[in-house]
Amino acid sequence: MSARGSLERERRQAYWLVAPSVLVLAAVALYPILAAVWLSLHRFILVFGERRFIGLGNFAYLSGDARFWSALGNTAYFTVVAVTVELVLAVPLALLLQRAFPGRGLLRAAVLVPWAIPTVVSARLWAWMFNPDSGLINRLLGGQDINWLGAPGYALHAAILVDVWKTTPFVALLVLAGLQGIPEDLYKAARVDGASSWRTFRSITLPLLKPALLLALLFRSLDAFRVFDAIYVLTEGGPANTTETLSIYAYKTLMRSGDFGYGSALSVATFACVVVLAVVWLRLLGRAEEGR
Amino acid sequence: MARSLVPVLALALVVGLQSGCRRGSDETRGAAGGRTRLVLKYQPLWGPPGPFHELLSRFEQANPGVELVTEALPNASDLAHQFFLTSLEGRARDFDVLVVDVVWVPEFARAGWIADLSEAFPPARLREEFLPGPVEAVVVEGRTYAVPWYLDVGILYYRTDLVPRAPRTYAELERFAREAREREPGLQGYVWQGRQYEGLSCNVYEALWGHGGEAMEGGRVLLDTKPAREALTYLRGLIAEGVSPGTVTGFSEEEARRVFQQGRAVFMRNWPYAWAEAQKEDSPIRGKVGIAPLPTVDGEPGSGALGGWQLAVNAHVSPERRRLAEKLIAHLTSPEANRVLALHYARNPPRTALYEDSRLKEGAPFIAGLRELVERARPRPVTPYYNLISDVLQSEFSAAVAGLRTPEEALRRAQRQVDHLTGEAE
Amino acid sequence: MRRGGLGTALAVVAFLTFFLGPFLWQVLTSLWPDGELTRPWPTHLTLESYASVLWGRPFLRVVANSLGVAALTTVFCLTVGAAAAFALAKLEFRGRGVLLGAALGVSMFPPIATVSPLYLILRAVGLRDSLVGLALPYTTFALPLTLWVLTSFFRQLPDELYRAARVDGCTPFQAFRRVLLPLAAPGLATTAILVFIFSWNEFLYALTFLTTPEKRTVPVAISLFASEYREPWGEIAAASVVATLPLVALTLLFQRRVVSGLTAGAVKE
Repeated sequence: MSARGSLERERRQAYWLVAPSVLVLAAVALYPILAAVWLSLHRFILVFGERRFIGLGNFAYLSGDARFWSALGNTAYFTVVAVTVELVLAVPLALLLQRAFPGRGLLRAAVLVPWAIPTVVSARLWAWMFNPDSGLINRLLGGQDINWLGAPGYALHAAILVDVWKTTPFVALLVLAGLQGIPEDLYKAARVDGASSWRTFRSITLPLLKPALLLALLFRSLDAFRVFDAIYVLTEGGPANTTETLSIYAYKTLMRSGDFGYGSALSVATFACVVVLAVVWLRLLGRAEEGR
Repeated sequence: MARSLVPVLALALVVGLQSGCRRGSDETRGAAGGRTRLVLKYQPLWGPPGPFHELLSRFEQANPGVELVTEALPNASDLAHQFFLTSLEGRARDFDVLVVDVVWVPEFARAGWIADLSEAFPPARLREEFLPGPVEAVVVEGRTYAVPWYLDVGILYYRTDLVPRAPRTYAELERFAREAREREPGLQGYVWQGRQYEGLSCNVYEALWGHGGEAMEGGRVLLDTKPAREALTYLRGLIAEGVSPGTVTGFSEEEARRVFQQGRAVFMRNWPYAWAEAQKEDSPIRGKVGIAPLPTVDGEPGSGALGGWQLAVNAHVSPERRRLAEKLIAHLTSPEANRVLALHYARNPPRTALYEDSRLKEGAPFIAGLRELVERARPRPVTPYYNLISDVLQSEFSAAVAGLRTPEEALRRAQRQVDHLTGEAE
Repeated sequence: MRRGGLGTALAVVAFLTFFLGPFLWQVLTSLWPDGELTRPWPTHLTLESYASVLWGRPFLRVVANSLGVAALTTVFCLTVGAAAAFALAKLEFRGRGVLLGAALGVSMFPPIATVSPLYLILRAVGLRDSLVGLALPYTTFALPLTLWVLTSFFRQLPDELYRAARVDGCTPFQAFRRVLLPLAAPGLATTAILVFIFSWNEFLYALTFLTTPEKRTVPVAISLFASEYREPWGEIAAASVVATLPLVALTLLFQRRVVSGLTAGAVKE
């Protein structure tokens, strides 16, 4: 058997090996997305079997739908604030986890606890802590009467706190993996030069950590943008839709109202936002790679 | 390690699949062993299981050859709706009798999911025997589509030790609350349900009726009206003026009840269930609570929103099964069944005569005493689009109550979205 | 150095409190007698909430449902994904980058974007409201995860092993099955744990596609854990603890694997 024949055969087998995965991905992801786009061009009320093609009618209504724009605003705000706070907390946490100190094992294990708890459970757990009457937080604040989940200014921030609690550990682990990729020699050299620890952090750690940080940002922002579980459990989008994100709005329209046409338009719009976000991040990431 | 994990996973898989299959096969098992299997889909009644089971087995005794099976529905109304949306829309035939929320009857009737029961239960007879509110909810365009099973109604709770009597007008409620709070600082005035969910809509409709308004006009849901603006202004005012705590915008039934039960509020709007809780042994307000119709702007006793459940027949089942299903409904909505539900499960009977029933008066005096209140109970707008628009309404009502939008703006926005959803705009 | 030590200690305590505190509070709540929840402290602790969750409700059934769906998803994704991951890591063919990119893209899909068509598909094939049917949408996130983590594991195995097997006369598939797959066992275990945890925690699809109470999975059951009007906080807490402990135990037991798996796809690329 010639080397070329063998290579040809290898390629053929490779296609057979990946074929099932490709098929499955096409069936559960590609086809539904295309189907969602098609549905979004209809007025489709599931209950009454009312279905007719209306072209871009749903999107025309969407462009003037104040509730959509406020959901987009809430989603963007949630994403930016949650991801920022998570990064700000995760970097020191990762630096801490990298050091040797008594109890490091305990801390390492402890940070995995919130990560392992289902989002729904963590939201329930925090909902109880946020309870205005008997919740832990108002107790700790000395019997305050703060309406964490019911007051418009607070509720979205409460949801952000739940997300921060749950996902900071994941971000910290990503950062830690990045930290462990930085050669020890660089730190030794810096110490010999008598650099302060802040300076070392600024001029060695942070620049070398940049790719890991950007990657964490990419993952987390795309993930935060589709937030559903925590908000559904905490507030279902209330009060006054101030915590309603795109996913919540689309879900309610689809499954509560049974309006599959407009609901699909909302989910397609959400998808489009995620794609735009991903493209922007990948550009930034590409530029950072080039800069190195 | 991977090897040790695989058997565990495989085992779990088998267990999971088996339990999945067993349920799946239910659908096909129509008449096992010559007995007809009749399936009732309902929500748990939360109480001792005995009396209800006895009620069911009495039906089996009277109808030999019928095996009665009950299956649970999700407790939350919106999820129960989702269940029916997905199963009835898929023409499921695996249940015969189903419970429906008061606000779903027109929707399900129009969708052709529930059968027309007018022959077995003529509307005229329902009007004679049942309270007016529930009948209004189950009779659609002159045809009966469901039979009331048990009902709920929004009522006012007040503290008999803090106020001289129940307030009749909104102004009186505010004044009583202020006076009580002057004597006892730290007390809240009036707690109700202000969270963004269906309970808020009930509170809003009650205020709307209390201001002499209606939510429907000629089959169209009409909200951008003067009484609606006044209703939202009143609810917002309760918070803005401190009669109600700011936290009510996060309250559902239970949050309100907890505050009231701890003795920290003068008034509460809630369903009758809160009564039993208030009268418990260790309740701080035991014996200090009264109930009354909700106040109104002019002092006429107000109407509470009608809640509760009706029994209907799946339109996809065969005619023979439909006849059996109708028999079952007749059995479950009989005066005896009404009494069992009232005595053992604290469910308010929809039959008018039950409120004069001596055994009910003796066994559940509180329920018997609700007569004046249940007679005034009113259904929320009766429209097939109720579920489609309720989400929009909740969010706009919530915005107005929380002070994010003026009542005028919230209602304008609500009207625009409602018109779009119901197709009025086109 | 002393100051640094003190700073570290404070930071450790702060982080520990933040991450563990809420969970411990939940444990305490689950032991708190229901009637006393509004009091500052419980007068005594009780297992009542656990008893009513485990015996008063079909909660064990719910746990079994979750176990079934998560296991089915895991087995399915590993079966389908392992071969593809091997090919992606060791074989030369066109479209490798595209496939990995597509997998990453799919894993970033907002699940809401596919809910309406998936619902119609599941209904059309008669799998609405079925646990087996639920595993299908679960592959949207589980298969990409499998591909990424496993590909990076296969890449770590030396190429020589594969070449040697080929020289011995194995076809690429035989080389995969007889030589590389057994060596990738730790990678498979890691992937299995991650996929299992992600499936166990999934909420949106389960909420949408399952409607019968007896078929609920753990997150759905906990999110809907209410009596008619009441919010039984003690029972919710007990159920949360019951549903979470196995997961926390699994995670802590396989700490290193979880961490390496989570960061494998992300950092080594």
